[in-house]
Amino acid sequence: MVKRGKLEIIRDMLYIIKEESNLIKPTPLLRKSNISSARSKEYFSELIEKGFIRETTDKKREKFISLTDKGFKFLEKYRTIMDFIDEFEL
Amino acid sequence: MMPPMEYFSNLGFGAETIYSFVIIICSLMIYYGTRELYELSSYKGIKYFRQAFLFFSIAYFFRSSIKFVLDYFNKRNILDFSPGFGQFSLLFFMYFSSMAIFYLTYSLMWKRWNGNSKKIYLFHALAVIISVISILQRDNIVYFGMNLFLLVYAGLIFYISHQDQKGKKKKNNLYAIYGLLFVFWIFNVINILIPDFFQNIQLFIYLISLGIFLIILYKVLKKTGSD
Repeated sequence: MVKRGKLEIIRDMLYIIKEESNLIKPTPLLRKSNISSARSKEYFSELIEKGFIRETTDKKREKFISLTDKGFKFLEKYRTIMDFIDEFEL
Repeated sequence: MMPPMEYFSNLGFGAETIYSFVIIICSLMIYYGTRELYELSSYKGIKYFRQAFLFFSIAYFFRSSIKFVLDYFNKRNILDFSPGFGQFSLLFFMYFSSMAIFYLTYSLMWKRWNGNSKKIYLFHALAVIISVISILQRDNIVYFGMNLFLLVYAGLIFYISHQDQKGKKKKNNLYAIYGLLFVFWIFNVINILIPDFFQNIQLFIYLISLGIFLIILYKVLKKTGSD
């Protein structure tokens, strides 16, 4: 199996959220991301820090994750970013 | 009628200004055109690539200032004009142009160097040394030596990077473009340090340099889908 790069993992995590009607609990997100627990928490923190996702709490005090506009923008531009990296051998 | 060679060597302010302006605009368009991709990805390779063109634009700004003074006051060497202004502008020109080359090569090699961003401080130090030598040593042999060093360094990086990419199926003319960019960039630097050296082929150097920057800009705009 080919090792996924950092950008690809971020894309996969954001895509999972998008596919779940842009609302998912943290645990299923981390499970579906298919990476180790420690790394998934690391990525999760990074996604929050970068403003790609936001965490909300409902009335039952349950936490949910959803994409921000920047998160949607990343998904939209992912192919362009990868093509650019490939074109200039970066 | 003016002989062609003399015509080519007397480009005048207009041609110099247009040349510098187009290259500065191209470099800034590459820098700003890739801003969104970097802001979204925080990808180090894109960062170093952008930095290279930002530094190219600053280097060209100092280059055009030096050229303007040399032509306007009819001086052969910028250090003859005013020690203060001459040393300041030459120091910055050499620093930014060396760093532009280092950043572009670093954008190709950062992954191989395990993303060790401390190496970039080494390049900054090297660029400072090169720029200080440029103002302290007014010797053509030293100037050639420094530029030869930069050329050999860039050539070596291209070779290593190209070998790494050989396994890939995709055909890419990037290395040919970068190779030409470096060679003609060095010509531009020599053109400032030793003004008489390329006098007869100045127009040729300018046209090729413009072509290279426009090709890179075209590739960037095509890939980023900038409007």
